[in-house]
Amino acid sequence: MSEVAIRSIDVVRDFGTVRALDHLSFEIPKGIVFGFLGPNGAGKTTAIRMLLGLVQPTSGRAEVLGRDSWSEGSAVRERSGALLEHAGLYERLSAEQNLDFFGRAWRIPRHQRRERTRALLEQFGLWERRKDLVGTWSRGMKQKLAVARTVLHRPSLVFLDEPTAGLDPVASASLREDLAALSTHEGTTIFLTTHNLAEAERLCTLVGVIRKGRLVALGSPTELRRDRSNDVRLVVTANPALLESLGPALGVRAVRRDDRAWMLSLEPGVSPAPIVRWLVERGAEIEECTRMSASLEDVFLDLVSDDREDG
Amino acid sequence: MIRDIGTIVWKEWREFRDQLFKLKRGGLSALVVVFMLGIVTPLQLGKSWISSPLMLAYWPILAGSMVSTLIADAIAGERERHTLETLLATRLPDSAILIGKVVAAVIYGYVFAFMNILVGWLVLNIRHHQDGLILMPLAHAGTLTLLIGLNCLFLSGIGVFVSLRASTVRQAQQAFGVIMLVLFFAPALVVQALPAGRRLELMLRLRAIGVDTVVLWVIIGLAIAALAVNMAALARFRRGRLVLD
Repeated sequence: MSEVAIRSIDVVRDFGTVRALDHLSFEIPKGIVFGFLGPNGAGKTTAIRMLLGLVQPTSGRAEVLGRDSWSEGSAVRERSGALLEHAGLYERLSAEQNLDFFGRAWRIPRHQRRERTRALLEQFGLWERRKDLVGTWSRGMKQKLAVARTVLHRPSLVFLDEPTAGLDPVASASLREDLAALSTHEGTTIFLTTHNLAEAERLCTLVGVIRKGRLVALGSPTELRRDRSNDVRLVVTANPALLESLGPALGVRAVRRDDRAWMLSLEPGVSPAPIVRWLVERGAEIEECTRMSASLEDVFLDLVSDDREDG
Repeated sequence: MIRDIGTIVWKEWREFRDQLFKLKRGGLSALVVVFMLGIVTPLQLGKSWISSPLMLAYWPILAGSMVSTLIADAIAGERERHTLETLLATRLPDSAILIGKVVAAVIYGYVFAFMNILVGWLVLNIRHHQDGLILMPLAHAGTLTLLIGLNCLFLSGIGVFVSLRASTVRQAQQAFGVIMLVLFFAPALVVQALPAGRRLELMLRLRAIGVDTVVLWVIIGLAIAALAVNMAALARFRRGRLVLD
């Protein structure tokens, strides 16, 4: 059994009458990239703050790297790095000075600090601009520097709140590679929030979906897609009324026309074979039957559909 | 802890120094201040400038007012520039962050005062070179150093409170400005408002007590106030609260 990096046990956090975290329970093994997905205001940032010991749970508790996130918050922060909602860089300092400050804050010896600063700035393509004030940089460059700052002290756990926001596609891809390498080669656990579901699908070993402070799904992207994906695409010559008559008796949740094909949404666990047989027995000519694979985006939208309806 | 405080002081000074040497707003106004306080004033007051008891009030008040610039920026500025939460997510203890910011402000007050005093001393010695070397009496210099430090420490503590409650630097500076006015001008206004007889009685009583005793009382009062206000600021400066603010 793999070791656990984060364990959240029935955590509740209320802000007045608003419940930001609603009995949040999950475990994240060490050394993986965990994607925390959810619409705006779902509780992602509060969860990160709680795990970093910046916000006290109203009830429940969380263990981060074996320490209580609130009562031993300083020990948690000692071994963590965080890129929060904002880049959090000192714009009146240069890139080098920014990294020097955070290196000092984590008590990295001077020689190592210089080497690490150089290595990271070169890795992110920022070395040439190291003496410039960060305030004069583009948003993408600042974001790269913020990521460099987050991993400067080689933390065991990294929290990244939308790290690729503001980056161009090339820089995003490069950052994804860096994060994957960080997890694979250095064994760093990465807790990532993102609105880019394709990114989460590519990068994350485990994904959690939060909605209104409650965890509504947890699993690998493949598991989530498999659990939520039971659509069948039929290219069929038949009376439309026959297809429209398909219903719960055969395990069909919904039927809709999609160009020249019909899309059937089946109940979880229902096989399309009996349905195809039922249609053929009633004179339908099936030209093609394809089991559709849902993307993580489909799963996400399905899980948060109530929010969309609310909105 | 000392090292962590040093880290914050280093950062505060880097930010401030780099701004100052750009000779934009901050740098230019610093030069104007040095010209007025370090050159014009000693030339006007003559040799009494260096040892007058009035200087024991003059420099601490000026240094304290300059501290307000830095301390108002300390927390409200971090919040306004979205760096506060990242700072709080580091391993640095709450107390090291706060003390580091206060120490940086106090050092700034000292640098401001001593730079002007040094310039003034040079100007005075050049102007009166025929009278030999003019030096500040040692006791006067020691008292001045103590008063500048205590006043800067006291005002930094107040500045932390103001900065904790303000959401922008401007708001913090405005609030701090009002507090400074009340602290330093209200006593003068109260004395002015007294009937002539009472005012004279007060002056005579103070004269009877003597300058040294009055200065000692002020030092003790300032030390107690600085300690109290900074202890209260330390108690108020907590991550959990700051993040939610």
